Amino acid sequence: MIDLYHIWKQYQPPHWALNDINLHVDKGDFYFVTGPSGSGKTTLLKVIFREIFPTQGQIVIDRRNILRIPDHKIYKLRRTMGIVFQDFRLLFHKRVYENVAIVLQVLGIPRKEIRRRSFNALRMVNLHHKMWEYPSQLSYGEQQRVAIARAVVHNPKILLADEPTGNLDPELATEIMTLFKEINNQGATVIICTHDRDLIRYFGEKILFLYKGKLIRKETL
Amino acid sequence: MLIVFFLEKDLSETKRSLIEENLKKSSLLKDAQFVSSEQALEKFQQNFPELQGIIDNININPFPSSFETTLRDENISSVKILVFIQEISRLEGIEDVQFNKDWVEKMESLSRLAKAAGFFLGGILILASFFIISNVIRLNVFARKDEIEIFRLVGATNIFIRIPFLMEGMILGVLGALISLVFLFLLVKFFPLYLGTSLGALNELINFRYLSIIQIFLFIAAGIIIGLLGSISSIARFLKV
Repeated sequence: MIDLYHIWKQYQPPHWALNDINLHVDKGDFYFVTGPSGSGKTTLLKVIFREIFPTQGQIVIDRRNILRIPDHKIYKLRRTMGIVFQDFRLLFHKRVYENVAIVLQVLGIPRKEIRRRSFNALRMVNLHHKMWEYPSQLSYGEQQRVAIARAVVHNPKILLADEPTGNLDPELATEIMTLFKEINNQGATVIICTHDRDLIRYFGEKILFLYKGKLIRKETL
Repeated sequence: MLIVFFLEKDLSETKRSLIEENLKKSSLLKDAQFVSSEQALEKFQQNFPELQGIIDNININPFPSSFETTLRDENISSVKILVFIQEISRLEGIEDVQFNKDWVEKMESLSRLAKAAGFFLGGILILASFFIISNVIRLNVFARKDEIEIFRLVGATNIFIRIPFLMEGMILGVLGALISLVFLFLLVKFFPLYLGTSLGALNELINFRYLSIIQIFLFIAAGIIIGLLGSISSIARFLKV
């Protein structure tokens, strides 16, 4: 499903954000990526999402080298993915509902269906009662849940999440992880970057350990 | 402008009719009036009663009969007028032609100058509108950078991202055209009143008229095209998605 071949990424010499990463992720896998801050977790997700290009190496998703997809066709890849950004990237001048519905709007889904699916996604993260509020009126944790609803609303084949439970209380974090697990059970491939060892212990199946951009260990529980 | 074709003395009725026919056939003329030598004398006596003595002394009617013609449109080119006069002068029975050649040529060059100035100013204004619209859209693209980025990340196509900006450019173009049309209407309506008789003889030559329906539509279409091109240029430069 996802294959990374000798991925190197350098923002500023001489440090390497990713250092010769080789990885094979099967369809339906549930991966945790962990490691200290600055170990390259976010960069790894960004290259898979093709938000940035690696300095060297190749990435193949669904038998397609995504680095060779022209810019004007990259939307096709992104429509198959859902991503929860570490900084959420919400539109603060749009309501919570609109932030979630945006994903379905770009897919050209009928308005009625958009309303139904957006409401369901917000209900899953327990925010349906705040759908007409603006993100600035929500707490940090609630904003994070809006970002999660936006990532899952279109049932993506690949779900990437960067510290999705970082600002949530343990109870809500468990709920969100259960939701990710459900999406995974429906066939989606899930890759989550986290520091939370409890979550990894509880939900972890396959774990990648990054340190200074290197993949130092891979565990399967 | 008045052009007078003087006829030969004792011209036969047939030849006169032939000249009249030729004048009436011409698309350049609004009117062609036959003035007999008696009528010409009468006119002279009315206009210059103090010169009656001279007429009495010579004891004959010195005025030839003529055709007094007026042009349909003052904006006809001098070349056309001259060609027309030459053609008529060649007809049998025409003795002389009287018209203000200098005036025709001066008006022609004035009209050419006005047209050139119009094109020059029009060109500058078109370029100015293009750059203004382009910059407005560019500022908007900057202001909505985050939104565009998020749209890209959730899988929006280039067209999906660009359409609002293109629409905005088109709307700006249409609004600009409509506002200009209103101003032009007011100018055409009230500027002649403001001028009054200050233009003197030019008043009859310079006529202020509003655009035709086709010209209005073309003007709005041009506004849309300029708006569209303005937004395309700024999107192409600043929205590389």
